[in-house]
Amino acid sequence: MLDYITFVLAPQMLTGLALGIAVILVALGLTIIFGLLDVINMAHGEFYALGAFLALALGWIGVPFWLLLVLVPLLMLPLGYVVERALIQRVFHGGDRHVTTLLLTFGLGLVLEDVFKLIFGPNPYRPETPISGAVEFAGIFLPTYRVFLIVIGAAIIAAVALAVYRTRLGAMVRAAAFDRNMAASLGVPVTWVYAGAFAFGVALAGLAGVLLAPIYSVFPTMGRDFILLAFTVVIVGGMGSIAGAVVAGLFLTQVQAIASLYISPVWTDPIVFGIMVAMLMLRPQGLFGRIGHA
Amino acid sequence: MPDALTSAMRASHLLVALLVVAGLVFAALGAAAGDTFYLRLATEALIFAGLAISVDILLGYTGLLSLGQALYFGMGAYLSALVLMAVPSFWLALAVALVAGLVVGLIGGVIANRVRGVYFALITFGMAQVAAKVVYNTRALGASDGLIGVPILDIQLGVASVSSASPVGLFLIVLTIIVLLYALAAYVLDTPFGRLLIALRANERRVPFLGYNTVSLRLAAYVLAAVIATVSGALYPMLRGFVSPELLFFATSGNAVIMVVLGGVGTLVGALYGSVLLTVLKSVIGTWTEHHLIVIGLLFMGAVIFLPRGLMGFVRPALARRLAAKVGA
Repeated sequence: MLDYITFVLAPQMLTGLALGIAVILVALGLTIIFGLLDVINMAHGEFYALGAFLALALGWIGVPFWLLLVLVPLLMLPLGYVVERALIQRVFHGGDRHVTTLLLTFGLGLVLEDVFKLIFGPNPYRPETPISGAVEFAGIFLPTYRVFLIVIGAAIIAAVALAVYRTRLGAMVRAAAFDRNMAASLGVPVTWVYAGAFAFGVALAGLAGVLLAPIYSVFPTMGRDFILLAFTVVIVGGMGSIAGAVVAGLFLTQVQAIASLYISPVWTDPIVFGIMVAMLMLRPQGLFGRIGHA
Repeated sequence: MPDALTSAMRASHLLVALLVVAGLVFAALGAAAGDTFYLRLATEALIFAGLAISVDILLGYTGLLSLGQALYFGMGAYLSALVLMAVPSFWLALAVALVAGLVVGLIGGVIANRVRGVYFALITFGMAQVAAKVVYNTRALGASDGLIGVPILDIQLGVASVSSASPVGLFLIVLTIIVLLYALAAYVLDTPFGRLLIALRANERRVPFLGYNTVSLRLAAYVLAAVIATVSGALYPMLRGFVSPELLFFATSGNAVIMVVLGGVGTLVGALYGSVLLTVLKSVIGTWTEHHLIVIGLLFMGAVIFLPRGLMGFVRPALARRLAAKVGA
């Protein structure tokens, strides 16, 4: 029994935890963008892939991994800002905002994915793991890089939550999410906050791309499968809820990790999506409320 | 004098008639030239136009964006392939698809219509994804390879019979069925029930005050769309001789949405033209680059931003005005 826990269950759960942290990073961007702008960003998976490709390309010209962790999100901030100002705002005030912004970002995702294919070709790249080796903890072996991913990912998630809930900037973001007009009349630069939040979400997706590239390899459609899981996390946790994304992210990846011990791993996806559909049916607002609303 | 919506629908009918004439000319030319490739491509465009019609019923008339219409399309294709491999009967395959579309559409509709707006888009997306993953992993359904070896069948048309291997024969049959599906959708949407759906799209909160049950209205629209998508899907294996899980994937649903947006949301005929346009674009761009998604994605984004009425936005309003004036005079 103890052997089972040490050699089967615990490593599986820790691997699941690493995936969970990564999914939460992507889901955070999605949920912030939805919570604030009311926009379903269908191109989010491609922004995640863009982060990975940027890391790959910059790695080729010799930029060290540690610098990439800062550089790639910084590079993606202006991109996200421009996308929000130049594309999303064009249809933002039109008739059905949900549908038009969803369609627009869906189109953007198609274009980005094909651009990756054009530049890098369809085959996967496997960047070298920046930290090799494995660590042992209470008899459990885990690759060092995954431990690093868990630690740094948890730190980033905590920092984002702190920024949103404990800083003045975060208060402005929450105010703008709660009541755009009221926030604007109190002097919150709402247009700037909107574009900034979108850029921030995009940068988080890019950061997740950098962190995950060494584990899941880099290819043009890498965003597609991953974004499904991220969407599921956002829906189960509650669209626009940061706490919800964290709880649902950890829960769903553990379900996946543990279920794949007992059933074929290919069947874990239907289980996770099934949870999402059930959640949408029974409690469409998700586990937690939106940013600025709770 | 007919009201604006009726004139608009008549304008759509005229545009469909135009497309049918063009299709017949095309079929005659293709048959004369002994062509196979272009006839089959056009047949495929028509089959996907059926899927696009079903997306437009939901998006354009009821205001519900479905990102999972491939669920019904793919289901129709798989069922039809299974039926044809057991009993090579065209009508049986269509009948099975029709019934399955009704039943599964009803179940799916009950689930999906519990939520609205953006959640509706996501739940339809999720349901299609569950189905796609299940099929993808089921050995009995061919898993990732799909079902190969759907036999060539003789389609019995009472007095005559047409082989599905004949490109022009199948093209004409598919054209007939898609036009019938269009006619069904157009007829239903032009009844008082259809007007209620349009009212639902315009202002969902007021419809209950007029004494109508929005839940059953939405459900009926959903089932209608599901049946049309399933029947269209059932035609697919007759054309290609196989079905693959890609038919259930998001790309298929997404393509149908692109067709509707390019053609013109809420026009019904836009779905047909959008499908033809997308198919032509793909094959034309495909001759000089494999990266057609960049062009299509940009066109699509351009349509969303600058042409919210799509291609039909150019012609249909003017046509509708002329029709109204003629009848009024």
